[in-house]
Amino acid sequence: MADRATFIAGVTAGLGRTEVLLPSSITETASFEDASAAKAKADKAATDASERSNELADQMAEEATKAGWKVHRASNTEDAASYVASICVQKKATSVLRSNHDALDQIGVDAAVTNTGATLEKTEHSGDYSQDQIEVSKSKAFSADIGITGVDYAIAETGTVVLHPRSGLSRLVSLAPPTHIAVLRSGEVLDSLDELFAMERNDFMSGELAGSMNLISGPSKTADIEGTTVTGIHGPLEVHLVILADS
Amino acid sequence: MKPLTVNFRSKAAMTLADAQIQQSIEHVYTGFYKGRLTAAGDTPDWEDLRTKGKAIKDHTIAHLDYYLGLLADNVEKNGGSVFFADDAEEARRHIIDLAHKRKIKTVIKSKSMVSEEMGLTEAMNDEGFETVETDLGEYIIQLANETPYHLIAPAVHKSRADVAKLLDEDYKDGDRVPDATELTMMAREKLRGVFERADMSVTGVNFAVAESGSIALVTNEGNGRMSTTVPRVHVAVMGMEKIIPSIQDLSTMLRILIRSATGQRISTYVTMVNGKRRPEEEEGPEEFHLVILNNGRQKLLEDPQMRESLNCIRCGACLNACPVYRKVGGHAYGWVYPGPIGAIVTPVLTGLKDADNLPAASSLCGACHDVCPVKINIPRMLLELRYRTAEGSTDKDERTSSATERGIWKAWRMGMMGRRRFDIGSRIASIALKPLSRNGWLTKVPPPISGWTSTRDFPAISMSSLKSRLRKRNEGSK
Repeated sequence: MADRATFIAGVTAGLGRTEVLLPSSITETASFEDASAAKAKADKAATDASERSNELADQMAEEATKAGWKVHRASNTEDAASYVASICVQKKATSVLRSNHDALDQIGVDAAVTNTGATLEKTEHSGDYSQDQIEVSKSKAFSADIGITGVDYAIAETGTVVLHPRSGLSRLVSLAPPTHIAVLRSGEVLDSLDELFAMERNDFMSGELAGSMNLISGPSKTADIEGTTVTGIHGPLEVHLVILADS
Repeated sequence: MKPLTVNFRSKAAMTLADAQIQQSIEHVYTGFYKGRLTAAGDTPDWEDLRTKGKAIKDHTIAHLDYYLGLLADNVEKNGGSVFFADDAEEARRHIIDLAHKRKIKTVIKSKSMVSEEMGLTEAMNDEGFETVETDLGEYIIQLANETPYHLIAPAVHKSRADVAKLLDEDYKDGDRVPDATELTMMAREKLRGVFERADMSVTGVNFAVAESGSIALVTNEGNGRMSTTVPRVHVAVMGMEKIIPSIQDLSTMLRILIRSATGQRISTYVTMVNGKRRPEEEEGPEEFHLVILNNGRQKLLEDPQMRESLNCIRCGACLNACPVYRKVGGHAYGWVYPGPIGAIVTPVLTGLKDADNLPAASSLCGACHDVCPVKINIPRMLLELRYRTAEGSTDKDERTSSATERGIWKAWRMGMMGRRRFDIGSRIASIALKPLSRNGWLTKVPPPISGWTSTRDFPAISMSSLKSRLRKRNEGSK
């Protein structure tokens, strides 16, 4: 086995040097900004998202549609709730999973779903993180008809929804069920990937980087058979994006 | 995986003669090629992004030792483990030992070219683990017991009927051929069960972020997400060049990778993983292992002429753009990496001696250089390798040209360098070849020149040179 020191020493020699040379600076790429520069960028991204919220929500709706989301612009919380209920009815859903997001409580998603006759469960452990418990919630996710989440951010440039898995936000709720509904509030939309990764970097510099991050842009798809695009291979076949207007 | 580069000519001839494969590969490559062209055209700062991408990769490779150390430190800080493997055998052994130790039953594989280098799927199946490729194209390839045809579209050469036979044992020739949607749904059903019971995953790495110990995975299907979510052990494998310095570099690199690969502005899923499941998370792997592979990349690093090839981000754009690849297909190249990038990387990694046909199979049109998202000058390196096989290499095995061939070119060079020698030489050639010419063309010439005339004609050498004709004309006008 190659131990780390030997392996890296080999690379150093391959580069024609005898010891590791620290990079001086990467002026062309701005790769390593310090914490205050990272924070300034992240703050600006957050300000932009709230100041240009209407414009960014419009752009998000347009780009998300192109990416394959079925977009619904909800003028108020009742509208959003009844849209979610209509999807449950349309899909004849009997079991629905939801994440722990404020936006879902705000629109009253629990009543909306249970009124259709479906059961609704939160993907949140009650402090039991044993492997057995994880197996139970895994099989729940694989048998659920619909998964409902809020979003942490959205990206207008690409019609992307961003989720950081954490307590109350299972990775599977947006992946395993055949239908995923994401509820987005105006003000949560970022301009582009640049802003997202500026914010991620700021989280990292301040020691708050999440365990993982998922960017979702439309339904699962493949073109591996004769180059024909088919939606729904391993993830959801159908994805809905509810954009809730400012109240 | 054992290189079969030596069979380039025969494999290429087989593909050229297969009308069905020609049709299906042309369809897919044209789709990718046009998609990339449109995506690049719709991106106003496309050239700036390429410049930036190249700068990021140039910088990283120039300090690869530093970034490898930084990456390993940070993966460990996140609670993961790092294994440095000199070669494919070492990496394979490590992963198999780990699977035995953890009493693994089912392994899901998410698309990874590096694991193809290791021949990992086959080796794990031989050890008794149920090992399943989960990218649909790779799954089809696994069922067919073949190797990937293309970096992004592994099963591009398979027709719907071929796929139906692989997915459904009851399917017979003459049955109605299912459409792509029906076939995809059949595969979905089969693979769902595998995902649910998988206890280990092996994924590739699109980018490893040194400063945070993160890996980024790009998929459209969602198998990358399944692999980083469901099994209790996650093993990520990467070539040692796949590093970028910082989180912010991801926005540049993802943009150029995805547009170049499929013409999308973003793929359906981009997953960034910073190690194993956090204590408060609902699910995720209990263990994260990163395997960093050298496997001959050292030779690319040490070679100033070839080092630039380590910038490659495996998007496949050069394949789709290459007029030769589009005709001879992916299997002709005989190893993991086909097309223009394969033609420069494979000879160095597996030996130039048996792979000398790869750099020769190019018209040097430069399309690969034009489309490369990190501006790798592939034609320059093709020429460099050709030079080595012809006369440049000091290794006698690598210098594959024959002594006769070198002798002929030496004589040619001498003949071309003096006026008198040229006049005499061309006079002799025109006389010697006269009996073989028909209507001004040489169509059948004995060896060694038959290599040329077997596939195309050569204009016969004129009995009077331009110089003598001009002289005659000038005399007449006096």
